[in-house]
Amino acid sequence: MFRKTSSRLARQLMLSSAVALTMAAALPAPTWAQDNETITIASANDVISLDPHMLNSNHPTGSVIWSIFDSLVRRAPDGTPEPRLATSWERMDDVTWRFHLREGVTFTNGEPFNAEAVKVNFERMNTAPFSTYQQLHDQTGLKEVNVIDDYTIDLVTEAPTVNMLYWLAEAFISAPKYMTESAPDKVANEPVGSGPYKLESWQRDDRLTLTVNEDYWGEAPDAETVVFRVVPETSSRLNELRAGTADIAVDITPDIAGQADSDISSAVYVEGLRKMHMGINLNGEQPALKDPKVRQALNHAVDVDTIITALLDGKTVPIPSIVNPPNNNPDLKRFEYDPEKARALLAEAGYPDGFPLTIQYSTRYAGGKEVSEVVASYLSEVGIQPTVEAVELGQFREMLANTSTKGIYFMGWAALINPSVELVILTCGHVDNSSGYCNEEYDALVKKASQTLDDAERKKLEFQAQEIVWNDAPWLYLWRLPVVFGKANNITYDLRADNYVEPYLMIVE
Amino acid sequence: MLRFLLRRLFMAVIVLLVVSFGTFIIGHLTGDPVELMAPENATREAKDELRSYLGLDRPLLVQYFSFIGNALRGDLGFSFVQQTAVSDLILERLPATLQLAATGFVLSLLIAVPLGIFIALNRNTVWDFLATSVAMIGQSAPNFWIGLMLIALFAVQLRLLPVSGYGGISYLILPAITIALQSAARLTRLMRASMLEVLNADYVRTARAKGLRQKTVLWVHSFRNAMIPVVTMAGLELAELIGGAFITETIFAWPGVGRLAVNAVYQRDFPLLQGVVLFAATAFVLINFLVDLLYVVIDPRVKLS
Repeated sequence: MFRKTSSRLARQLMLSSAVALTMAAALPAPTWAQDNETITIASANDVISLDPHMLNSNHPTGSVIWSIFDSLVRRAPDGTPEPRLATSWERMDDVTWRFHLREGVTFTNGEPFNAEAVKVNFERMNTAPFSTYQQLHDQTGLKEVNVIDDYTIDLVTEAPTVNMLYWLAEAFISAPKYMTESAPDKVANEPVGSGPYKLESWQRDDRLTLTVNEDYWGEAPDAETVVFRVVPETSSRLNELRAGTADIAVDITPDIAGQADSDISSAVYVEGLRKMHMGINLNGEQPALKDPKVRQALNHAVDVDTIITALLDGKTVPIPSIVNPPNNNPDLKRFEYDPEKARALLAEAGYPDGFPLTIQYSTRYAGGKEVSEVVASYLSEVGIQPTVEAVELGQFREMLANTSTKGIYFMGWAALINPSVELVILTCGHVDNSSGYCNEEYDALVKKASQTLDDAERKKLEFQAQEIVWNDAPWLYLWRLPVVFGKANNITYDLRADNYVEPYLMIVE
Repeated sequence: MLRFLLRRLFMAVIVLLVVSFGTFIIGHLTGDPVELMAPENATREAKDELRSYLGLDRPLLVQYFSFIGNALRGDLGFSFVQQTAVSDLILERLPATLQLAATGFVLSLLIAVPLGIFIALNRNTVWDFLATSVAMIGQSAPNFWIGLMLIALFAVQLRLLPVSGYGGISYLILPAITIALQSAARLTRLMRASMLEVLNADYVRTARAKGLRQKTVLWVHSFRNAMIPVVTMAGLELAELIGGAFITETIFAWPGVGRLAVNAVYQRDFPLLQGVVLFAATAFVLINFLVDLLYVVIDPRVKLS
């Protein structure tokens, strides 16, 4: 009796909660906007800062800054400089560059764009904390910015440089008065630029909305509104694409890229610019690595082609040099997979029985564990005794900065198309030279090339430098990191290998 | 009562101090945030400059005391990475977090309490067996799996609800269900066990022997006593949810405190990390305090002194 009464009561309680649930499910579903004028881009992370001088990653921070601000020159996907706020430029002498600026451009707050604006921006870039992020001064040796007249400006460097146009493409110009007179967090949150879009709203970790800049000096973009959404989980990003609520999904790993293919969307593979390799630390725990023969042996011991087929679904190619195409020396010979030769080289170097070797990886690049394990198994076949070790990312970066990795380490370097910058990282004592490689002949060639303004002559020097470092093998050469996007089929746009996404060039059908 | 409040306040201050010091030390033990913040090809000088700009070149204790000093004045500092006030970053996420936590929590209580009582009263029946098994599965199934299954069904296949994001009520439904299911599974099992224990207690038998009405026995003698462990557990669950449901937030791209906290850890954004931990710890202390007050309401034998 007792039980019966109470269970009726409980049933009623249950019923009411079930009703609540049903009601929740019966709420009106959102209407799916099929508005062709909005492009939604889903990324893993949020924009860090909208201060154009705090740009520290290509996507999404870089993509948004490229959309809101202009630089003097634009970098085309193949690395060629194109006019943007500068209409033309010329070299006055070995250390002076003259830029002619676009007239009649205004920032979205009404301030005019002119040579003084460029000067104010470039000077701000060279102060802390911006100088850590902004590389114009460090990489080009820029020392003077001279205003000639309202629309002409001279940039003077310490020594001749071939890198000016490359780094100008990432030196963005904001409204000078607004920028210098506002609090830093205001500049970081309310950008004022002259680019194709302007900021409408930004809810951190959720969405950032851009709307078209009516006063843009160039051709008006196709989409009126662009939404950069943060969707941290990769499968959720792909689900958004399949459900039709995202047009571009960025930061997709090759292993699940297949999920991007549906009747309205597909996966897009781009041969990336990041050169994946196992860095070989000459100053680590294993002295054998100081011997170039040993390093060559490591390269002969690993079957890179097979790993590409097995682990990366064949979606990429081996790196041809430490310099990206089209600037690589085409005469370099790959280290063919040849375990016999590897064993012979090891014996020649005095290590017929191999040696213990630690392979380290971090979470920085997807698949670090798998790659390290496969490389370990190849190396153990030629007699080396490898151990695989995971390292936390921050610690890993500290190890790289201090050249203190234990042996070899999974690494990807420099998504750049700039031979000068790509080569300099392996010169003696360079901050990014995590392998401790040091060859004076190489250093001299690299330095000479970076100051040689004649294109053909410079190319020759760069090719020589590439050949020396390739054969000295401070890396165990692997592949170009494949970059994968998911794209809605009704969007026409060539996705870039450097991961910048430019919504103003997208055509919506 | 006043003495109780004062003692509680004193304890809260101690807890928050210990938590903040622990967070500070452990944070700094993980290493140098500048290595993660600077671009890969920044020069050594540029990194040093950033370090001194952020005040990271000062001795650790000096950094800690300046943090505490500012925190006492209500200033939690600037996020290293986002160059925005930490308190603004947390407040920005608060509506989303509270919305998800409250909905998930209420939903889980609406499921767990009636269901727990129902199966306790009908123990060893088919219903009991079914509900207990489902609760068992619900408790063991990982959040991300439940979330992904819900998305696959309701958002991609049926297209009834959005996949992820933050907005109107339609965006809230799937993440709230994901949170509620797991929490409800735990609470249902506890409710059932607690109810069974009370129903077998001597005083309930006495009450029944006295000839009291079943309704009185159930609501006055059994239910309130059975609720005590459930309230404790539910309080902990709610405090945890307000501190952030990282996995659910990640799958549903929900801009809550959990993701803020985890990103702060990954980026070694110490001021932000300390701010978020202090926030979560305060929520914990506060909710525990409310649970203590609730005990008095539920059980008159409990005295606050």
